[in-house]
Amino acid sequence: MANLIEQLLNALVLAGLLFLVSAGLSLVFGILRVVNFAHGVFYMLGAYLGFTAVAVTGWFWLALVIVPPAVGALGALLEASTLRFIYRRPQIYQLLLTFGLALILEESIRIVYGPTAKGVDPPALLQGAISLGGLLYPRYRLFLVMLSLAVGAAVWLFLRTTRAGLVIRAVAQNSEMADCLGADVARVRTLVFGAACALAGLGGVAAAPMTTAYLGMGIGVIVDAFVVVVIGGLGSIGGSMAGSLIVGAAQTWGAFYLPETAMVIMYAVMGAVLIFRPWGLFGEEE
Amino acid sequence: MSPSRVLGAAALVALALGPWVLARHQLSLLTDLLISGLFAMSLDLILGYTGMLSFGHAAYFGLGAYASALVLLEFAQPVPVALAAGMLLAGAVAVPVGWLSTRSTGVYFAMLTLAFAQFLYTVAYKWRSLTGGSDGIAGVPKTELFWGGPSLASSQAFYLLAAACVVLSLLICRAIVRSPFGRALQAIRENERRFTSLGRDPRPFKLVVFVIAAVFAGLAGALFAPFRGFASPEVMFWVFSGQGLMMVTIGGIGTLIGPILGAMVFILLQEILSSYTEHWMIFTGVVFVLIVVFLPGGLVGTARRLGVRG
Amino acid sequence: MLETRGLGRSFGALQAVADVSFGVEAGELRAVIGPNGAGKTTLFHLISGLLAPSAGRVLFRGDDVTALAAPARCRRGISRTFQITSIFPELSVLENTRIAVQLKAGGSFRLVGGRSVLDASERRARESLMFLGLADRADEPASTLPHGDQRLLEIAMAVAQEPALLLLDEPTQGLAPDDTAATVAVIRQVAHEQKLTIILVEHDMDVVFDLADRISVLHFGRLIAEGTPAEIRASADVQKAYLGGLD
Repeated sequence: MANLIEQLLNALVLAGLLFLVSAGLSLVFGILRVVNFAHGVFYMLGAYLGFTAVAVTGWFWLALVIVPPAVGALGALLEASTLRFIYRRPQIYQLLLTFGLALILEESIRIVYGPTAKGVDPPALLQGAISLGGLLYPRYRLFLVMLSLAVGAAVWLFLRTTRAGLVIRAVAQNSEMADCLGADVARVRTLVFGAACALAGLGGVAAAPMTTAYLGMGIGVIVDAFVVVVIGGLGSIGGSMAGSLIVGAAQTWGAFYLPETAMVIMYAVMGAVLIFRPWGLFGEEE
Repeated sequence: MSPSRVLGAAALVALALGPWVLARHQLSLLTDLLISGLFAMSLDLILGYTGMLSFGHAAYFGLGAYASALVLLEFAQPVPVALAAGMLLAGAVAVPVGWLSTRSTGVYFAMLTLAFAQFLYTVAYKWRSLTGGSDGIAGVPKTELFWGGPSLASSQAFYLLAAACVVLSLLICRAIVRSPFGRALQAIRENERRFTSLGRDPRPFKLVVFVIAAVFAGLAGALFAPFRGFASPEVMFWVFSGQGLMMVTIGGIGTLIGPILGAMVFILLQEILSSYTEHWMIFTGVVFVLIVVFLPGGLVGTARRLGVRG
Repeated sequence: MLETRGLGRSFGALQAVADVSFGVEAGELRAVIGPNGAGKTTLFHLISGLLAPSAGRVLFRGDDVTALAAPARCRRGISRTFQITSIFPELSVLENTRIAVQLKAGGSFRLVGGRSVLDASERRARESLMFLGLADRADEPASTLPHGDQRLLEIAMAVAQEPALLLLDEPTQGLAPDDTAATVAVIRQVAHEQKLTIILVEHDMDVVFDLADRISVLHFGRLIAEGTPAEIRASADVQKAYLGGLD
């Protein structure tokens, strides 16, 4: 029984991190109609910047607060200086561009930080384990679950209840009309892109104490995020949530019962979804 | 004769003269360029002509390399047998992966190709007993042209084989894109919905071209293994797929010959830059981004456009 | 030629087309009119097979084609144009038309050679282009054509397929008066010479009354009137539908 709860929690931790990354990916697609291949690298950047922030200030909480906006700002800057100019082109070029950006960013991180992984200590408050009715579970992981839930709720509320959120959803549905009605579409796009990168960066900072900051993070998370959005459907936050839970569960239980073939389960689930719904569970037909 | 035909003939003659004109290391470099060019050209079939963006094409290169390596090392067969094995394995894997992937379009397809490729990479990485794990398979020999035939151990001989394969592949691909099938692919690229309304389901076309592209990528990989003497998981990694995309984009999407030139430019750039700095990858990335934004037609595409106007 | 029985299609709570039953005779030129949002384009999608119906059947030449998707229906003889121009932008005008012929006629899986397929389809394509007056622009990229010529290209592509039933979705949309008159003349000529059955969706009433043998009127997805142009012009229901609601 304790085992089951532990696995459930592990699945939630994974799902939470995946959600932070794939929600941003999904948002960017919903609003900009672009799949940001560099998204995983922003996640990785968050982790490395988190490492630096903690190394310099000694405060993890500070890192958690200042790193995501920094990553978001970089993302917004890149969008405004490159992606903005090629929106009208066929989708392929935008994908290629974000791919190129991913390569540049990844190499930059390698140059600055070198090839070895960087460990980040969790703050004192979250160290050690907590007792949950007989089960000893790491505090930090619980924190991760709560963090992703809180952020998920905040994003959802923001989109549904604020005026800015309304504008964003309008641009997603019909950017030309929104433009005519006075929304500054270009600025919305830049902001959304930046916000999505900030989310990914937050995921990275939060993940660093658990996984360390290492160079393979970017590609690892982007592939998982891709599987999540394929299963859940692009452009749907609810889909990202569902997809994250499915992938998180599949990976956790797969890793436990069939360690060598954990990934196979994930791809099998993805394959199964695609056979019946090639645009994801909650996605729109293209 | 049209200018492009003259150019083509001249290039063929130049290639054929290679072994007598170039030094051994230059010939080696040219072989490397040709193999990468073949890989890039195969990617152009799906990217440039059918409009399918694949982030996982390197997987088929890798499959070709591993199959070839095993056939040469374990069974000591002539190189063409290894080439056939590479093409077969790549094609065989491409069928189910392609079938699943082409059920989706656009960005979903792109993401799927990456996911499947990473899966295959991980299999290559973990299946130590078959693939040698992260070390890969080393000591792959260049055997002979056919049973009891001339050895391909010299760089001249292997170069001629590689050049012949690449030229032949180019001619075949050219015939394909000019055929009714190739024309249909281009229509799919331009407007898939219209294609459907005009009487055909695009999916079988996409699957067929996906497999064909995989086969040619497998051929390139199968040449790579004996040429370099090893096969390793790196050649299945997404970075390698990305390099393929860069070669195609730099050379010219949808031109067949462009990607081959793009591969040459890319590798030469790599060679030159790496002698100045170990971080040449960044410069290549920047060049790539600049080309995507300012010169989407690539070298050949832009040249053609200028030539038409002039 | 074409018959629909109780055809309906809803998108969630929105009933775009409801209980539409009508029939079009061979050789007839039928116009489908109605205020914006009446469901005309949805009806076309249902007939051509791009959308599956929520209810009802589509019968073509006596056969029930409801279960068939768009490619199959096209091969059976239903060709269409689109309200928002949908061509192959980077391909030449000739290639646009030629591929339309090839896709329907077959031979698209010839990977090598196929010279005969290409030649035959090219011949038919050139005929169609000449008919539509586009022959002199055959080698230009379709995207460089002015809007009016692109609408004609749409028609050329559909006509080149030698369909039995031609669906034209707002062929004069966005055209200047001169182009409109030319397009109307072309449609009339095509209908006459190739003995096509045509269903036409149009907003321009002059075009409708000029061309149509019979008119069907759609309002909020339902068929509210059907008859000759004179009957429709006089119908009180139709006037109420167009004038009674908001403009």
